Amino acid sequence: MMNKTTKATFSSSAEEQLSTPQRYHSLAIMLHWLIALGIVFMFASGTYMLYGDLSKAEQYKLFQIHKSAGVLILLSVVARVATRIFTHPPALPSGLSGRDKRLSKLGHLGLYACLIVMPISGWVMVSASPFGLPTIVFGWFEWPHIPGISRNKPIETLARTIHWTTASVFLSLIILHLGAVIKHQYFEKINLIKRMWW
Amino acid sequence: MFHNLIQLYRFTVQTAFTCLLLAAPIFGNAETINTNHKTSQISFAGEHAGMPFSGKFRSWQAQLILPPSNTPKIEASIDLRSAKTGDRTYDETLTEGDWFDVKNTPKGQFVSQDIQLTEKGYLVKGELTLRGITQTLEFALTHTSKGLTGQLKIDRLAFDIGKDSDPDAEWVSRYITLNLHITR
Repeated sequence: MMNKTTKATFSSSAEEQLSTPQRYHSLAIMLHWLIALGIVFMFASGTYMLYGDLSKAEQYKLFQIHKSAGVLILLSVVARVATRIFTHPPALPSGLSGRDKRLSKLGHLGLYACLIVMPISGWVMVSASPFGLPTIVFGWFEWPHIPGISRNKPIETLARTIHWTTASVFLSLIILHLGAVIKHQYFEKINLIKRMWW
Repeated sequence: MFHNLIQLYRFTVQTAFTCLLLAAPIFGNAETINTNHKTSQISFAGEHAGMPFSGKFRSWQAQLILPPSNTPKIEASIDLRSAKTGDRTYDETLTEGDWFDVKNTPKGQFVSQDIQLTEKGYLVKGELTLRGITQTLEFALTHTSKGLTGQLKIDRLAFDIGKDSDPDAEWVSRYITLNLHITR
């Protein structure tokens, strides 16, 4: 009896996956929330290490942690993009207007772009920094510098500007992303969270 | 009897000379110390971002020919790639072009021919070469139960160490202390 039920549930969910799934792939969901947590940490640590009232030692340590976390996020983003390419995302809810569907696609494209540009511009900055400090990811493994740009002040400055500007755009897009979820939930009664949760 | 006395005298003189001849190189060797990282220690200490750090050179050798030798001399060669603090970030940065530049100058050299006897040991004046830059240094070596000990401060900027990264010693202290523990 139990076996039959389990089997039935499994086959129905497998069917869903094959046609049009109701939610994102489990791996995509996991990565979405892990990266979300990571991004919150990056915004907090990034702001605090630049503007916080810290001693030099604490500032240095926070920079190293920010770099380490950035590498892990970059790897997660690569996995996320790969998951997106190799799995079928759920179709957008039919209740959304054509305009909202277009805006949603644009917004998500922008979020992906920020997810890629943020860690890469950070990596360029670290690689071109006059300090030349290596990135030892949480004392675990060494993440290499991008070759050919060591101690390159103009490139470091450019990467810094991109990192900063992208962070501002990213923050705006995240606010829009959350705002859209709330808007659709309360005004159109469309529950979007269940697409991104198990 | 008289004959025997002459023989005894000869024997005594000969024995004395032989002893002196045998002893001379022993006394000579007593002034010379050949040492390296296995028994002795060259360590360094400074501050980064207000945090003290220290480390040691894990590969070096030195010869000390000390007064009263007429030709006193200290020669030391240090493998700069062997500088280890225990912090990977520091250790890898140290080898880079702006710091020890081990690719171009893998060794540090110290040479001195000016060594004065002092009450507690020696006063050494010599030349240290790092990154191809030579500076004159002076420091005291003091007798200890095991051998000799000394301490000297190095102005890293005088050797262009970290000149591009931190010319104002905002992060890494300008003066680095070297501690020498020479075991006889």
